[in-house]
Amino acid sequence: MAEEWAEMTWEEKREERFQRWLSPGIKFDSPEAEKSYKERVTRFTKAIKLEKPDRVPVMIPVEYLPAVYAGTNLKKVMYDYDELKRVWFKFLHDFEMDSFLPPSLVFPGKVLEMLDYKLQKWPGYGLPDDAPSHQFIEGEYMPAEEYDALINDPADYLQRYFLPRSAGALKAFSKLAPLTPFVAIPVGYVAQFADPEIRKAYETLFDAGQEAMKWAMAVGEISQVALAAGYPNIWGGMSQAPYDMVGDFLRGTHGIMMDMFQRPDKLHEAMARLVPVAISDAVTSANASGCPIIFIPLHKGTGGFMSNKQYEEFYWPTFREVMMGLINEGLVPLPFAEGNYEPRLEIIKDLPRSSTIWFFEHMDMAKAKKILGGHTCIAGNVPVTMMVTGQPAEVKERCRKLIEICAPGSGYILTAGAWMDMGNADNLRAMMEAAKEYGVY
Amino acid sequence: MNNTVKKWEEMTWQEKREERFKRWLNPPDVKFVSAEAEKLYKERVTRIMKAIKLEEPDRVPVMLPTGNSPAYWGGANFRTLMYDYKKGHEIWKKYMEAFGDMDMFNGPGFIPSGKIAEAMPSKIQKLPGLGLPENAPMNQFVEGEYMKADEYDLLMLDPSDYNMRVMMPRTSDFFKAFEKLPPLRATYGNIWLAAMTDPDIRKIFQTLIDLSDEQIEWQMASMEINNYIRSQGYPSLFGGGPMAGAPFDHFADALRGTHGIVMDMYRQPEKLHEAMDHQLKLMIETSIKNFPMTPSPVCIMPLHKGDDTFMSDKQFEEFYWPTLRALCLAMIDEGLVPMPFAEGRYTNRLKQITDTPKSGVVWWFDQTDMKEAKRVIGDICCIVGNVPTSIVMKGTVQQVKDACRQLIEDCAPGGGYILGGGASADTAPMENLKAMMDAAKEYGVY
Repeated sequence: MAEEWAEMTWEEKREERFQRWLSPGIKFDSPEAEKSYKERVTRFTKAIKLEKPDRVPVMIPVEYLPAVYAGTNLKKVMYDYDELKRVWFKFLHDFEMDSFLPPSLVFPGKVLEMLDYKLQKWPGYGLPDDAPSHQFIEGEYMPAEEYDALINDPADYLQRYFLPRSAGALKAFSKLAPLTPFVAIPVGYVAQFADPEIRKAYETLFDAGQEAMKWAMAVGEISQVALAAGYPNIWGGMSQAPYDMVGDFLRGTHGIMMDMFQRPDKLHEAMARLVPVAISDAVTSANASGCPIIFIPLHKGTGGFMSNKQYEEFYWPTFREVMMGLINEGLVPLPFAEGNYEPRLEIIKDLPRSSTIWFFEHMDMAKAKKILGGHTCIAGNVPVTMMVTGQPAEVKERCRKLIEICAPGSGYILTAGAWMDMGNADNLRAMMEAAKEYGVY
Repeated sequence: MNNTVKKWEEMTWQEKREERFKRWLNPPDVKFVSAEAEKLYKERVTRIMKAIKLEEPDRVPVMLPTGNSPAYWGGANFRTLMYDYKKGHEIWKKYMEAFGDMDMFNGPGFIPSGKIAEAMPSKIQKLPGLGLPENAPMNQFVEGEYMKADEYDLLMLDPSDYNMRVMMPRTSDFFKAFEKLPPLRATYGNIWLAAMTDPDIRKIFQTLIDLSDEQIEWQMASMEINNYIRSQGYPSLFGGGPMAGAPFDHFADALRGTHGIVMDMYRQPEKLHEAMDHQLKLMIETSIKNFPMTPSPVCIMPLHKGDDTFMSDKQFEEFYWPTLRALCLAMIDEGLVPMPFAEGRYTNRLKQITDTPKSGVVWWFDQTDMKEAKRVIGDICCIVGNVPTSIVMKGTVQQVKDACRQLIEDCAPGGGYILGGGASADTAPMENLKAMMDAAKEYGVY
């Protein structure tokens, strides 16, 4: 089997994965649910392959909205898993959609507190109680001179350098011995567990793990219920561009920008090192989830952050390698170009035809269609401001225009430019209506 | 390192080594029992240091192949000491008293805690009563192809991750559940959390925590006896600990096994080279750079698969020596003294190991022709060895003395020689060990 897999073309591998996505091997609530599920998945796979589906598919632009929609808030559901289930079930019940996102990014607040997690603020913890979203806290968590340690042994670096800095409760991990020098004589590994601080760190992890388990059960239950009701998951896994892996949490925006000038070779070496890591982790999670779409949020390569020249030198090559690696495994990269990717359109066309879904935030979609149309499926981009503050009629009209521009010839997924975390939920209904009314092929 | 006038990174390797030698000669943590003990300690360390530096000491220093033979002399054995951490103390103390003058001496070595070994059995090591007869005097490594031929890339992708999620479960059932761990490298901090939700994985860490008290007790016992030995004026040679081996052996011993690695030399030589280079870099970065000030700068490096009969000169030159040499150079550069222990025979290799800095490396030979060793590398490296273990264990006092005399005649002239056994003799009679000391004093005075 493994050898057969290796000999298959990427299209053949992808077809296998599509088949698995189409038949997830679960018990659906009803024959209708199963039928709808297959229709929805087929809608997406056809759009990806630039074939005409029955109508334009809609990727519902929702991450945290169900909390506010159900009359509560993000803080409440981060701490109360019964509430989490209640509000997501309500959302499932009240809306029609082609895809569904379980609240796997609604991290459990209690666990984050137990770990003294430093990379995120959340409602009630650095943000106002009623904040609709979390906030990442960038920093130079990896000093420039630690590039080699990361390059040589990523897991070791994560455990002994990065975790102690990103979670107060795991500070003592910096005292752990490196794992690589001792092979298979684990007795020597034991002594460090006598250190009271290391012990405390593990005990906190146990407790936090116990708590996280309760949360994971709730999220798992929501996913299963959605699936059984006929709503496909559209994120089979996540990945990152190597430049962002280094820029977001390790070096920070300031650090990585300096590195482009002061130590470009080290930066290149580290990014090259992270390519196979990014690929293998996404493959693992896609194998587990059964959905072949890999969501890749993009940050530091957007227009305004760097020139096209820098993009082509630093950002694109390893990012493209990651995507090619995913494509060759039969997966479908779904890069989410946050910010403005208009200057990059010509560059990013350099991928196999129909292999990818480009999801744009700020973008002249007519231009995107002109350059990528007939080559790559595009998704977007009702402004999130309109989704949050606008009226349903306005949203519907905007969707109509987008469909007119982007839908012809297939290769289009209707969605907003980013997630809608608050505002009038009827705007989501308007988006769905527009797809059904204007998006039929 | 900060209290020195010249900055550490600006020092030459000799200067760094001198700092480490000073620390060895004046150990801040040893409380000598008498002025006489302190005097003897310094004389002994000086004797060894001079030999390392290829200078002539007062007489040839002796590294006795004592091993764990005090245990047998005192009516105990490897296994009893695995379970009774204190018993070693009484015996070793009595042994020291009975023996008298030695240039170096250590507490029980390589004897792990029996309770811990039982709780986390390793397929890679057998111990007396745990896979070996109860009266076995040694542990036994069990080689195997624990790493598959097509896993080099996986290992290089993320060595610690590979070790934890692949090797540990394969080599010990205790760590079986680590197979279920997610990759440990993602920068999202929730990875460990997910791991800790699994009861089998939690159990591993809980057991490690529970066992650590036992391990500390074992360590304290070991530290206590070694402190006692030091306070009596006996230095230890191996202050750096058995910390590094040849990168080739790293793959040949525990990962690929002899059979696997020999195939790799033919079928995927580039992959093997790539992996060794990566391992070398890793060893230097994690274990050698910024090496702390330790009781002594000498680091023993047991060598296995590079001996005369395991590979040809050509293979040694291509596969074995380059990364081993680079490792030695990195240690020298930190002021450390690498002391490769060439198990087996290295007579053919002598001509190939001459390209290290003068006095930088100490070579301990097992069955190598010492006269030849003196001739080929005697001006470059201090050499140690090699009274045959068979004679130390089973020969007469006279046979031991004769062997020592011959070695001293061949190797001592001009300095740079330490009289030693070819390996540790675990059940050597005390009178044969004494004969070695006597020989050094009788024939080895400069």
